[in-house]
Amino acid sequence: MSEPKCEPTKWHELTAPVVGDREHYQKKSWNPVKHTWGPYTQKGPAPVWFADANATNWTESMIAKTKDLFYEAKLNECFEKGDEVAIKIHYGEWNRTAVLRPEYIAAIVEEVRACGGHPYVVNDTTLSYHIFNSMAYSSYQMEGAIRHGYTSATFKCPVIVADGFSGEDDYRVELPEGLILKETYIGRAVAEADAMIVIAHARGHAITMYGGVLKQLGIGCQSKRGKYITHLAHWGDPHDAIGWPKFTDQCPGKACKFHEMCDNSCPRQAHRVLEHGKEWYPERCRLCYSCQVTCIFSGMGGITFEENYFPNAMIAHADAALGALKCFERGKVGFINCAIDVVPECDCFPWANKAICPDVGILASKDLVALEEATLDLIDQAPVSPGSVAEEKGCKVGDDKFRVVNGFSPRITMAAAEKIGLGTRQYQLTHHEPVLTPENAAKWQIRPDQPTTVRLRETFHRNDLATEVMPFRREAYNKEWVWNEWKKFDPFKGEPAG
Amino acid sequence: MGEVIWVDMQAIGPENSVGHKIRRLLQEAGVLGGLDAGARVALKINTAEEGYEYGLRPAFLRTVAEAVTNATEQIPTLCDGLKLVDYWRRMSGSSFMDVVSRQGYSSDTLGGNFVINGGFSGDEGNIYPCGGADTVLGGVEVGAAVCRSDRVWVLAHVTLHPLLGVAGALVNGGFECLVGRERTRVLAGIDPYPFNGSRPGRSALSGFRHRALEGHLGVRQALEGRVFYVNYVWDVTPQPEYFPFSEAPVGPSQGFLASRDPVALDAVTFDVVAETASPGGRTAVESAREAVEELLSVAEALGLGSRTYTLRRLS
Repeated sequence: MSEPKCEPTKWHELTAPVVGDREHYQKKSWNPVKHTWGPYTQKGPAPVWFADANATNWTESMIAKTKDLFYEAKLNECFEKGDEVAIKIHYGEWNRTAVLRPEYIAAIVEEVRACGGHPYVVNDTTLSYHIFNSMAYSSYQMEGAIRHGYTSATFKCPVIVADGFSGEDDYRVELPEGLILKETYIGRAVAEADAMIVIAHARGHAITMYGGVLKQLGIGCQSKRGKYITHLAHWGDPHDAIGWPKFTDQCPGKACKFHEMCDNSCPRQAHRVLEHGKEWYPERCRLCYSCQVTCIFSGMGGITFEENYFPNAMIAHADAALGALKCFERGKVGFINCAIDVVPECDCFPWANKAICPDVGILASKDLVALEEATLDLIDQAPVSPGSVAEEKGCKVGDDKFRVVNGFSPRITMAAAEKIGLGTRQYQLTHHEPVLTPENAAKWQIRPDQPTTVRLRETFHRNDLATEVMPFRREAYNKEWVWNEWKKFDPFKGEPAG
Repeated sequence: MGEVIWVDMQAIGPENSVGHKIRRLLQEAGVLGGLDAGARVALKINTAEEGYEYGLRPAFLRTVAEAVTNATEQIPTLCDGLKLVDYWRRMSGSSFMDVVSRQGYSSDTLGGNFVINGGFSGDEGNIYPCGGADTVLGGVEVGAAVCRSDRVWVLAHVTLHPLLGVAGALVNGGFECLVGRERTRVLAGIDPYPFNGSRPGRSALSGFRHRALEGHLGVRQALEGRVFYVNYVWDVTPQPEYFPFSEAPVGPSQGFLASRDPVALDAVTFDVVAETASPGGRTAVESAREAVEELLSVAEALGLGSRTYTLRRLS
């Protein structure tokens, strides 16, 4: 690692804490871009492996299949022995229920370690997003992560906030290739890793329409500074451009029962509720979404987004994803999408709506765009879940589900991603169906080399606990009830009267 | 004149266990009453280097964390910075957390959120002035977990220190709260591991001590003085926790001392350690005395506190 190129701080001129400015920070920062970064696929369609969500025996456990795919997709070749391997996941908002179960992450951590890597699980802090956000503040984020079961005890490796205590521990990455962004900021625990395995919960997203592995890079790996940039904060003029909140004439002012929440939703006090409507101080605003999302979550319409904001943000987050990918040598990042609990919204929402389709399965690849494209196609081909917002909006099998549900097609992002060199949209899908053999059944068990029954055999040989209390006490019982009565409780016919 | 409270190790019993003693220390020091609901308190602790085997038991720190939680209704942050070993390569946040975990320290065992002061890189922080124009450093960069908190309690595992004499409140509340690159700057080329045969000269050592204490001024500036110190005189080893090994303690454990004055606290602490050293540990303690004298006198001259103290001993 090279020393930062920066002017020495003029220590003796200090009279108060230094408030960093853009110039100061950029001089302190240095660019971690690897010389050989690039899309994994050089030519032709990219291989993508898929294991569906059905399971009927040991080998078909979703966890077992996740481990299989890790090797099938050659993610074990993303790192060398001794490499520091970041496992990038989403820690999930407080009260969010549709987050990945810790077991999926533990499974990959186990295999990274088994292959000689040094894994650690990471996620960056977020911007405030809404009034009760738990992820903008690193200590709150860790409380939420623990509540979701994401702990060092669960994973047997460190669980870290990638961009530090305050979200400022980052690197600046230059993006001359970007369609919109020309720079971004990546959390250091990501940028300093030798390799990375990204495990994404594939589901919808209110801003980018869909969130999978690309979203994990394009927002998830961005530090606070990176997220502000990716949000397109301050693009254009405050009153007509996309990078600012849109204040409508629908704000009822203090007549709104949420007006105190609204006032408190901004960490910079950039707006204030008046008797009628709102007053806004654009010079204080940084576009963290707090006011917009708090208003929308409250079911009100006073503060919202510019209509063209979303496709622009989708393209920008592909640029930002490139910033994360450039921190690694080509082929040093592996990707897994878990299309499970495919709900309409992001894991940064403090709730989860009904899934828009049944669980699809697990996908893995070293090409993130191909993986995303395959995931989207499989989700689109899946049935529409009854009672979901997808059904409510008239979505049919084969429709672009996230366009129907969230407004724009996520393929906008994928096209942008392909254009700037994140990967290819062409993929070759291999359906992985494990064969039930004794070896495969044992392979991913807790003690593959010694069946539990054999272990218990040894234990029972020393002390057979059942024998000590046998014969168990048996008394006369109502045979009519046990043999016949229960047959009458047919749930579809109802319990017979009397 | 600094006021120091000492809860010693006498009269241990079912209602006077080590936990009771630590809680009593906090009550007698009157610090819990000063905590407002919602206050963000950071507890600066020591997480030992791999190979150092006399680190404080997590329960000793958890007791304080629980007291803070009760007073503030907030889960406190516990933090320590990256060590100095091979700073640019081995000391990534992930390997630091691995070592921390092996010592038995986690958010579960410590009763609060454990974070790296300075983030994954150890370099996340803000710059604060150390005092006037006559200071050597001018300003220092204080780790984010410390400088972004409302209050900091320094829970120092007291040990001897090869460069500074004693590692107590002054070292842990100052130099140890700085970001990694700042500590590199304060060291100014001094090898902190004299066991490698690289003992620095007297002049270089004096310069380092002065700079390290100026760093403490920067930390106090960051917290606007809202710092409280507890010295755990427990398993006082000849080596500090950043060493990759530890010899047997220099004497029996003497309990817990606390003060708002780090100079008075370290002065009392060293006196207690010296008076109670075992025959086998006396040589190590006496060989540290000169460095401790210099540390305390420079600290007093810099305005960090007073070497004159009143001691309230509670058994």
